[in-house]
Amino acid sequence: MAADTEHELIAELRSLGRSVAPPVPGDDLEVAVMSRLAEAPVRRPSAAVPLRIERGTRWLAGRRRRTVALVAAILAALLVTPPVRAAVSDWFSFAGVIVRDDPSPAPTVSQPPPAVPTVTTSLTLQQAEALVAFPPSLPSDLGPPQGVEVSTDRRVLSVSWSSGRDGPVRMDQFDGRLDYAYMKAARQVEFIEIDGTPALWFEQPHEVSILNADGTTRRETARLAGHTLIWEAGGTTLRLEGEFSRARAEEIARSTEPVR
Amino acid sequence: MRRGDREAYAELVRRHAPIALRTATLLGAGSDAEDVVQEAFVKAYGALSAFRRGAAFRPWLLRIVGNETRNLHRGAGRRRAREQVVWERTEPLLLGTAESSDPAGALLATERRRELVVSMAKLSEAQRQVVTCRFLLDLDERETATVLNLPRGTVKSRLSRALRTLGQELERSGDSMGDRAGAAEVSGGS
Repeated sequence: MAADTEHELIAELRSLGRSVAPPVPGDDLEVAVMSRLAEAPVRRPSAAVPLRIERGTRWLAGRRRRTVALVAAILAALLVTPPVRAAVSDWFSFAGVIVRDDPSPAPTVSQPPPAVPTVTTSLTLQQAEALVAFPPSLPSDLGPPQGVEVSTDRRVLSVSWSSGRDGPVRMDQFDGRLDYAYMKAARQVEFIEIDGTPALWFEQPHEVSILNADGTTRRETARLAGHTLIWEAGGTTLRLEGEFSRARAEEIARSTEPVR
Repeated sequence: MRRGDREAYAELVRRHAPIALRTATLLGAGSDAEDVVQEAFVKAYGALSAFRRGAAFRPWLLRIVGNETRNLHRGAGRRRAREQVVWERTEPLLLGTAESSDPAGALLATERRRELVVSMAKLSEAQRQVVTCRFLLDLDERETATVLNLPRGTVKSRLSRALRTLGQELERSGDSMGDRAGAAEVSGGS
């Protein structure tokens, strides 16, 4: 078939498709979907296999199932909160952290890595532990932290080390099963594993903001963060930030254990 | 489900309902399209954790829509019988004889439209599906591959074979009709 004829044919097929009047979605479609979802139990990202494999979801069958389950374990996603109205293709969430695509172009000149904000408050670990509703963890590799604080809403416990062979290091932790606590806008993120546990590695500087309990962004908290590793241990999400290599970050993560 | 989740997902449903309904309809759901789409949105929510970063939501949703449409006909016996049912539901829509089609807005001359649909009937169901996704629904090649769960190479080769068959069929009917006026009218407008 000549190319011209083929182009004509394709144009005709498109016209044919357009000429079929689209069924108009009634409001009841949305209402029906949303009421069915409201009846379903809330899924928690900590479930071993967060996917509900239901009758009819044949596309999950066979060899795909394993891949899907792995991806599912990595992206233990709930849904985006209202202020984060980005299209679904632009975000995913991981253990209480929302990650969005940063559409801005990468800087052309290499900048110095953003400074790691260290914690200046110094609670004792026991005081901090009494304020939060989860057991804190610490990396034995870094020794006792020099600063300990708890956010005013008592959701996030932060510790930091200002000196040592790794330079300034900060570690934040929160219960990732309950809420989103951070939003990150990054151009690139790597899915990695630490001893079989899914983790995220941010090599490039990226914007990080703290989210309120209702999911709104605290604009004033937005800042640039450098190398960051995020992983989950026993329902607690840990976030490690510092001027280290990925290998060193993983090493510190492996040495992290619940304090008690 | 938390309140914020609900609002965000409702917005996704609103945004993607039209294309989801079109897809279900043209892939053979006919008057069951709305039920199929409702089911697909509920399942898509349940499987949202399988959704990969960088992947687009639309083709992923449409794949579930396609699967649900197929499930609809699972009870229709053997494969050939199922395919027959699918085409019987779709053909009247394409011919413009079904209630839900829109003759007033038709962009194709009636006779030419009939010729095209008759030629489409000569395609295998697998070929019709790629033609439907790629051209009738105007999805791109990658989306078509995702929706039909096929490798891109297969989409490409099936499309080119389908176009060749359609071309030959149209030529044959054109010869017998001795009239290509409809074709000229359409291609001039697009």
